[in-house]
Amino acid sequence: MTASALDQIVRENRARIVAALVARFRDLDLAEESFAEACARAVPAWASAPPANPAGWLFRVAERVALDAVRRQTVRNGAAPPELEPVQTAEELMTSDAALIPDERLRLIFVCCHPAIAAEARAALTLRLVCGLSTGEIARAFLLAEPTLAQRLVRAKHKIAAAGVPFEVPGPSAWGDRLDAVLSTVEVAYAHAHADGGGTGRHAGYAEEMRQLTGVLATLLPSESEVLALAATVRFAEARRPARTSDGMMVPLAEQDPASWNAALIDEGHALLARALTLGRPGGRVLLAMIHGEWCARRSLDEPAPWPAVLAIYDALLRLRDDPIVRLNRAVALAEVAGPVEALEEVDVLDAAGLAQFLPYHAVRADLLARLGLGGAARAAYDAALALGPEAAERCWLEKRRAALSG
Amino acid sequence: MQYMILIYEDEAGYGDQADSPEMQAIVAKHYELAGSIGDRMKGGAGLQPTATATTVRTEGGRQTIHDGPFAETREQLGGYYVIEAVDLDEAIAFAKQVPVRLDGSVEIRPLIAK
Repeated sequence: MTASALDQIVRENRARIVAALVARFRDLDLAEESFAEACARAVPAWASAPPANPAGWLFRVAERVALDAVRRQTVRNGAAPPELEPVQTAEELMTSDAALIPDERLRLIFVCCHPAIAAEARAALTLRLVCGLSTGEIARAFLLAEPTLAQRLVRAKHKIAAAGVPFEVPGPSAWGDRLDAVLSTVEVAYAHAHADGGGTGRHAGYAEEMRQLTGVLATLLPSESEVLALAATVRFAEARRPARTSDGMMVPLAEQDPASWNAALIDEGHALLARALTLGRPGGRVLLAMIHGEWCARRSLDEPAPWPAVLAIYDALLRLRDDPIVRLNRAVALAEVAGPVEALEEVDVLDAAGLAQFLPYHAVRADLLARLGLGGAARAAYDAALALGPEAAERCWLEKRRAALSG
Repeated sequence: MQYMILIYEDEAGYGDQADSPEMQAIVAKHYELAGSIGDRMKGGAGLQPTATATTVRTEGGRQTIHDGPFAETREQLGGYYVIEAVDLDEAIAFAKQVPVRLDGSVEIRPLIAK
């Protein structure tokens, strides 16, 4: 077996195997280390005789490695060691991977995304354990030094063990908080993947893992509308990735050519959203997915942009969740439907101090001021946006808009 | 496992008197909560206001005695419970039921296993 074939087997089965080990041993470090050891043993073992069921082989070997470690630990502590498990039988070797390895991915996701862990640490832990990214890859995406990120992972794992975070899918009394924590974790992780417009930079590849992760969640929790909606949103947003930049410059959504969007991903998004909409009153994530859905329903630049529908959905979102970021996004739609005067009035009543570090606030204001011919004020707003260190593609675009100002 | 549940509130919200109506109302709610979890309740008490607090400080091997709490904060430690819970989710569910008169924070700390 070639190294790349082994790599692919590891990538495809990692989450499932690590999750099964976590469920069995209730120890994140032990699960990770045993899986790594099994992969290391596979290199020489498979070179001469590749197994019929590679994933099953990795799982069984990792399980034995973990059991040995548990035995050594209990012997050191003076307790009676647990019974050794029988090795893989011929019958098991014939069984399909799926039947041999229990699917405990949902449990693993709920452990990594417990609300008692800080959101950024949750996101890093999920990317590490569920998506299999390396510490270095996560550190680059989170703009952190690798030792800093590694230390956060160690602290988070320690807290999970010491504070008694349950290794179970939560019961009904905790379900709301726990599910929301899972979804906000995925949102934080995806925001880091999405931030790089071109997708060829430091996040290359990892948005794909986010698509898979949300897909797994949607499969495992098919009657949670917010889960389906988040999976839809990630697909709609990823579908537009090829059109997000042109010659290194950001292209605003309304100016993106729908012909260059990924039609297959958009279809997946619409199917997920349609199912979410059958599951009762739409929550915040369903409404956000609907906004993406409106945009992705556009077929060409000749069709009008869906601003009136987008504005109506933002109105619904505002009734559900009145926060300045929703108001700011609504103002962008309002500018297109009612005009920049009305939109600027809405933006100017927002808490300027609270939004001072939020780049889109300055960018939206700059655009509205420019449309009203207030060049001086617009220039100051573009400067404020540029001072917050946008990604290269957005910086290019803001600089171009700033240069086009008159007066 | 066992958890300590620490209750932080602005003590000014209870007035100067230990038997103020606000205090009586919250004490009744605490009794109700304590009764609801039976023998999983391992201990707990309300604390007198921070005006009664004394702090022994050790610095460089030298001990000094101070009037007042360890730290001056907007919300003060006003009471605690020690409960037995199967996991953090159960402890969080309990902490959510702890009555707080106005704003406040309820901290959950696992005890070191004996």
